[in-house]
Amino acid sequence: MLSKPLYILVCSENHEKIQMAAMAASVAAVSERPVSVFISMGAIYTFKAGLSDDERYRGGDFSSILREKGAPDALKLLEMGKQLGEMSIYACSMALDILGWDETDLEGDLFDGAMGLTKYLSDAEAGQIITF
Amino acid sequence: MAQRKLIDARGAFCPGPLMELIATLKLIEIGDEIEVLSTDKGTAADVPEWVAKVGHEMVETVDHGDHWSVVVRKAK
Repeated sequence: MLSKPLYILVCSENHEKIQMAAMAASVAAVSERPVSVFISMGAIYTFKAGLSDDERYRGGDFSSILREKGAPDALKLLEMGKQLGEMSIYACSMALDILGWDETDLEGDLFDGAMGLTKYLSDAEAGQIITF
Repeated sequence: MAQRKLIDARGAFCPGPLMELIATLKLIEIGDEIEVLSTDKGTAADVPEWVAKVGHEMVETVDHGDHWSVVVRKAK
């Protein structure tokens, strides 16, 4: 039986927070828990298509250590979570509007589309929401 | 006859070993086993927890000092 869905709201562009969000999302998804990720505010920069790792991941000392030690890449973790479990990822439509981006500006096939906050919060009433 | 696959995930960090295990489980037959070698301290606890949650079977966890060997049998 599936567990209560997990809704992960990611607003920070801080690498450590993005990494933890990706870890939580991917592990929950492969543990038979439906996951929905909403990317907004500064976090959207991390998902811009075509960036190098230096451009993509900005954080503190721990970010440097994560990369030095070869910790799993956050975007790859999300991709694996989608492949191996039940996970959807949405870009905040407001964040895209503010930046003048559309879905083609975002990395690869990670996203399931753009969504407004009202719809996301309405869906999230069915589960547990955590923010990064 | 049941097969056993080996995943050498030594040097990989959480949740790398678990994700490799799950990806490989999708590819094998029910009754087959996977042995994961891991230096990640969380693996020895995380894999049995995941196995119990999703309904596979733990075969054994062995502490080799510098790494763990965790064996899982695909049950569904």
